[in-house]
Amino acid sequence: MRWWCSQLFEEWSWTPRPYLGVWTIVAGLWLSRHLSLRRWKARLGTSGVTTRQRWWFWLGLLTFWLSSDWPVGALGAGYLLMVHMAQYLLYTFAAAPLLLLSMPEWKLRAVVQRFHLHGTLKVLTRPLPAVLLANGVLISTHMPWTVDTVRVSQIGSFLLDIVWLLAGFLLWLPVISPMEEFRVRSVPLRLVYLFGAAGLTPMIPGGIFTFARYPLFRTYEIAPRVGVSALSDQQIAGAMMSAFGMPVIWIVAAVVWYRWAREEERNSPPIVRRRVVSGPDPG
Amino acid sequence: MSLDAGTRRTVTILAVCAVIVLALGITVGVLREGGEAGADGPAVALAEPLPMPDAVLTNTDGTPYDLRTETAGKATLLYFGYTHCPDACPIQLKVLADVMKTLQPDVRDQLEVVFITTDPGRDTPEIMRAYLDQFDSTFIGLTGTDSELQDLQIAAGLPVAVAEPMDENGGYIIGHATQVLAFGPDGNCNEVFPLGVRESDWAAALPGLVGVSS
Repeated sequence: MRWWCSQLFEEWSWTPRPYLGVWTIVAGLWLSRHLSLRRWKARLGTSGVTTRQRWWFWLGLLTFWLSSDWPVGALGAGYLLMVHMAQYLLYTFAAAPLLLLSMPEWKLRAVVQRFHLHGTLKVLTRPLPAVLLANGVLISTHMPWTVDTVRVSQIGSFLLDIVWLLAGFLLWLPVISPMEEFRVRSVPLRLVYLFGAAGLTPMIPGGIFTFARYPLFRTYEIAPRVGVSALSDQQIAGAMMSAFGMPVIWIVAAVVWYRWAREEERNSPPIVRRRVVSGPDPG
Repeated sequence: MSLDAGTRRTVTILAVCAVIVLALGITVGVLREGGEAGADGPAVALAEPLPMPDAVLTNTDGTPYDLRTETAGKATLLYFGYTHCPDACPIQLKVLADVMKTLQPDVRDQLEVVFITTDPGRDTPEIMRAYLDQFDSTFIGLTGTDSELQDLQIAAGLPVAVAEPMDENGGYIIGHATQVLAFGPDGNCNEVFPLGVRESDWAAALPGLVGVSS
């Protein structure tokens, strides 16, 4: 049994091959949450999370597991660039925000305090550093030499996946952080940030992948073929990168905007109607 | 913006780590690219030109195929493999098939890709034809007797392919040379291309092989 997926120079097989590292992390995340919720309940008598947060957690964990374990992990590490891209998109646009949404404020605050991250996150979740970080991770982890270098080993592949997940957390903290101080205060600015951080830059590498004349990634070019040619695989991956993040961003933007509008409406002063009283002139 | 000492330290450590990782990645990437592509491309030059082996084999339509006369005046990529190969052959043939689609007609028309089986027991002409058609229907497939094929591999300067013991289903894999021998129109091979040469490298090298400036 292998710890994590990596490039394998062998014919693709549909024989299941679970990864120990993935199962360990999934079990660790579940156990850590379970224990902290139990402690919270013992101390305060309440569950500490909402039903919706429970759902987000299981969905987030399921997404992380599906995008890391066999077959997605194995195909993405050494056979198909489009699956590698799907992994990136799932980590960034599904697993990370779902796990973040699943966290009650007290839990995130405890984690942040435990690892002395408050000051660092305060800086990194400001719009400009967050945009630079998100786009830096996106571009650097999709350069052919990065992928070709890290995908050959389990540790490299593991680090790449973890970087994607952590970068996903940082990308979404300014928008949906349970801790208010990490969120961008102005809602319109929050939406501008979201488009700047995740909506625009993917089109550049996505376009390069789509229109390149030859395969750019050795890992996926010199790999036993699974269905499509290396160039078609790269073109599909490029199209996915350019297009797939946008629907998520639009949906999140619509939800954020709707909630903000509703909040504004609730906080606006009530309209007072004056009754017009008719009658004889008192004078 | 005022930061406390702890935050400054963490941010500095993160920034230094990021710079180190980036520099390491660039260095490794540049070294890898340099080591593989180099100034002269990915081909390995032979110390002495290797003439096209003199052999008459059987084509996939069952007719005799004289290697020297049939390939005379054309550049030829010669590759030894077998249709049940799980890894090297499909990769090598797929890369060649893909790059053929990108070549200019004046280059493509001057090139032959010849696949010679190392597994004559299983690779009948019909099976070879069906296999090669999955990649490119113009690829030529050749077979012969065990001794003819062994002599041919020796004449081509390659180690003779060796079959591994059968598995419980009666299948077996064959260890064989994975490089492509590139013969020019003069019938001499001056360089070989190892497994792993990329489409872009092939596309850069093949016009020169046929004598067309790219």
